[in-house]
Amino acid sequence: MKQGEIIRNTLIQAGYYRVDFHAPEICQTARPGHFVHVRIPNLTHRILRRPFSICNCTPSGNLSVLYKTVGEGTAALSELKPGTVCELMGPLGNPFSFPKADEYPVLVNGGYGAAATFMLTREAPNGGLMLLGARSATDLLLVKEYQEAGFEVRVSTDDGSAGHRGLVTDLVHQVIAEKTDRKLHFYACGPEPMLMALTRILGEKNLPGEISLDHVMCCGVGACFACVVKVKDDNADGWRYARSCKEGPVFKAEHLYLEQ
Amino acid sequence: MADLTTKLGPITLKNPVMTASGTFGYGFEYKDYYDLRELGAVVVKGIATFPSHGNPTPRVAEVTSGMLNAIGLQGPGVDKFLSGAEYMPFLRTTGADVIVNIWGRTIEEYCEVAARLDAERTGITALEVNISCPNIKEGGVAFGTDLKLAAKVLNAVRKSTTLPLITKLSPNVTNIADFARCAEDCGSDIISLINTITGMAIDIKTRRPKIANLTGGLSGPGIKPIAIRMVYQVAQAVKVPIIGMGGIVDGADAIEFMLAGASAVAVGTAIFADPYAPLKVIAGINEYLDANNCKSVSEIVGAIRL
Repeated sequence: MKQGEIIRNTLIQAGYYRVDFHAPEICQTARPGHFVHVRIPNLTHRILRRPFSICNCTPSGNLSVLYKTVGEGTAALSELKPGTVCELMGPLGNPFSFPKADEYPVLVNGGYGAAATFMLTREAPNGGLMLLGARSATDLLLVKEYQEAGFEVRVSTDDGSAGHRGLVTDLVHQVIAEKTDRKLHFYACGPEPMLMALTRILGEKNLPGEISLDHVMCCGVGACFACVVKVKDDNADGWRYARSCKEGPVFKAEHLYLEQ
Repeated sequence: MADLTTKLGPITLKNPVMTASGTFGYGFEYKDYYDLRELGAVVVKGIATFPSHGNPTPRVAEVTSGMLNAIGLQGPGVDKFLSGAEYMPFLRTTGADVIVNIWGRTIEEYCEVAARLDAERTGITALEVNISCPNIKEGGVAFGTDLKLAAKVLNAVRKSTTLPLITKLSPNVTNIADFARCAEDCGSDIISLINTITGMAIDIKTRRPKIANLTGGLSGPGIKPIAIRMVYQVAQAVKVPIIGMGGIVDGADAIEFMLAGASAVAVGTAIFADPYAPLKVIAGINEYLDANNCKSVSEIVGAIRL
């Protein structure tokens, strides 16, 4: 089993943490959209691993993950000190495609979904645009980092404390209306209702997009069929359940099956 | 190093540790982790005559020392299982002993899937008849909690194949020994137990069940004492060999099952936390046998001191 020693594990803003593992082997092959499956050693009486999007990998082999403390697993993770060694599986899953030179990448993220698309900034030859939605200004992550990587950032918040007051999909409509001269390609990660709304918009406008879904997982490798999501299929029902750990977490938007 | 060769009625395995059905996919998913021949056997996820969507999501919920699942036997169906590159054709290339778990909605479907696998039996060591899945509306545990229905389906499957038959029992019954005797009387060569225990969990914030199916099967370390008790009871009731499972994480857990009367064991939920768990269990059994001067693993089967 691959090991990752914690190099840092710090609060970056209220409720959000960044943990860096020294995991050179995983960093060698990690791509945007991949995830690592982490066994949290101090999580007693809990048996499953926790999956996290890979936010960044450095040439020296440090792998960072951004997380919000939402439950017992992330709370236990936040207590781990540098020097702690965790068992890691990864990189796992189906990553985002490489941005093409003639396309303009538009990243659409909700909350800490911003972490899952961050490495795309290294693969996009001509920069791009990142739309970030969050509850409040204090939930906006990585804005400076995206800007430093050459991406324009536009934000929306539910309470209007930063940027557009409303939904990130409002910004998507604006961008589609505005960038009529660009060949847009969307990449997205965030809460499922937001992703499904985006998928609907892309379908209506016939625009390409890739959606990273965050589902409850057990095995992380496609064995248990816990993390399934409906995708279109040519069977009698028109859909099948695909494993988001194996065929995803990144799915082409046009492949996702939306409930009527 | 002790001899780990394990004789289970008509079949002989290189060691007593297999994977529990539903926790190891079709073996393909773990091919990059280790050589599947290191396992006593690979037990694949349940196969029916037809492809099946399984249950709506969410399908799992983690609970103290375990998890609830209601996957609902999503699967490719027997045709694709026998022809698809990531299923039986792949398993044949590994040289591993393969046990195919089978299920149906009706007795006829159980027989049909058994007959189909029998007809293309190359690489199949045995069939495991699942009469204990708690998460499907038709079939599964409905057969495993009614002695008359169990006898009907097990007798019928026995007539449909000459492959060695394992019957997997449900713990969701008043007296599991009765079902073990029934399986033995109906010609099962081996008995495996336990499947998951029906449970339920509720999200107190939303007040909604944590699993879309409402109930799910409880697995993981928390159920081990129940499984040990049931293996012990079944071992007192039948002569056929037993595959014990339920919460096994390490070699010590496996030894406990064997002392209670299991000739072999299966590792399930622990694989989700650690894909290498079955190999660690094999190593742990070995260490125990060496430390206790046992020449063969068979020496500890049923060796509980009362």
